[in-house]
Amino acid sequence: MSRSQKKESLVESLKLPKDICMGAIKVTMTGNSEAWIENYRGILEYTCNLILLQGKTCRVCFEGTRLSIDYYTNEDMKISGCIACVRYL
Amino acid sequence: MIKLLKYIRGYLRIRVSGFSPERFMNLCSNRGILLSNIVREGDVYYMNINLSGFWALRPIARKTGTRVVVLERYGLPFFLPKLLKRKVFMGGLVFVVAFWIWSSLFVWDIELSGNYRITDDMLLTFLKENQVTVGIRKDDLDIEELEKEIRRRFPEITWTSAKLEGTRLMIAVKENDAPILSQEEPGEAGQDLLSQYAGTVVSIIVRSGVPKVAAGDTVEAGSVLVEGKVPIYNEDATVKEYLYVDADADIVLEHTMEFTDELPFDYVRKEYTGREKSRYYVRFGDREWKMPQERPFLVYDSVIRESRPLILEKLSVPVYTGSYTYREYQNVEHTYTQEEAKEKLKEKLMVFLAGLEEKGIQIIEKDVRINTNASAWVISGQFVVRENVGESAATQKESGGETLK
Repeated sequence: MSRSQKKESLVESLKLPKDICMGAIKVTMTGNSEAWIENYRGILEYTCNLILLQGKTCRVCFEGTRLSIDYYTNEDMKISGCIACVRYL
Repeated sequence: MIKLLKYIRGYLRIRVSGFSPERFMNLCSNRGILLSNIVREGDVYYMNINLSGFWALRPIARKTGTRVVVLERYGLPFFLPKLLKRKVFMGGLVFVVAFWIWSSLFVWDIELSGNYRITDDMLLTFLKENQVTVGIRKDDLDIEELEKEIRRRFPEITWTSAKLEGTRLMIAVKENDAPILSQEEPGEAGQDLLSQYAGTVVSIIVRSGVPKVAAGDTVEAGSVLVEGKVPIYNEDATVKEYLYVDADADIVLEHTMEFTDELPFDYVRKEYTGREKSRYYVRFGDREWKMPQERPFLVYDSVIRESRPLILEKLSVPVYTGSYTYREYQNVEHTYTQEEAKEKLKEKLMVFLAGLEEKGIQIIEKDVRINTNASAWVISGQFVVRENVGESAATQKESGGETLK
């Protein structure tokens, strides 16, 4: 059992929130127009059609049209626009 | 709520352009600077930033090689200095607030509730006598004393409550529903029951005293029906002494009762000509401003309509608007026709009969006629009625008798 698998089973058995303990990005979406993202490091790229976010373990790419960031703080951010695709890189 | 907070703290719309705006945003968020409404247009980014964050931007901008341009300023920190420059406006605002606070120290409305027999006018007159009027300072008002004074002045009021709600004085009273019993002085025992009318006794039930009549007897007005003097006999059937009591009995007497009333042939009736004139006024407290007007008609009566705009009523501002409507009329002499006269007289009779019924008097026979005399219609009636009688009067004491209670 690898180290990350061990950690995951420990977190699972203790019922701790995964997004914090595993450093995973948390994405909440309402339809295809709004998305709330928590637990990220920062923005790597931002254009009208693409927003690329850096997480602790991976990157997330939002693709769509007319994308804009409603607010952006250290903890969370909100993206609105017409989201066509979410990809994990 | 968040919008209001942002407004109070102030924020700016800025344009960011240059080498790496993404890094600029990341650094901002790391330092806890809130960015919002980030929009990219070509190579430049537009975003909102709060005022305190803006002062910390210089090192970030230098580090990331970006240029920051302020486009617009929003919020109270920018609006207030502009406002403070307008001295007259600020003075007016301060004056308005001061006036508002000062005027809330007075009573602006008096509301009465719960009074039925005592009219509003009576209560308001009483309040005026006690220097409680619209415009009195709240500090000068002793509510507890006022409540006591109302109860003292109007004995039929059994409960009062006065309270100030904002600038409105609300007085609620409760009147005594039951009639006030006159406290009779317990005088010396020994009361007879006398008959008020001449007639025939129908029934008699005696609770105390000695009955002097029996059912079927004919009595005169003023004769004793029940005596309050109870004899106590010796063994040899002579009276030893008298025991004086208050006679009490239910006695039904059948007697005749008369009713007459008159209705003059002629009467004067108001006939409105249909011409009306209105005059409007505004009233503030006791002062009234009317539209000037001459004497409108030769003979007229007037109707006053008064109202208060709802908002002023809610604000307890004693401003009323209203109108006098003067209606011209002529006094026209009329003569009753026979039908009219009969109708009117019957109405009077019905009122009389309703009065009898209210007193619990039973009508056995009636004989009513309508005639005329020299100047009027006359209704006269004779009724045979059954009525509860009995009028208390002091018993004649026997000398040497002993009063026992």
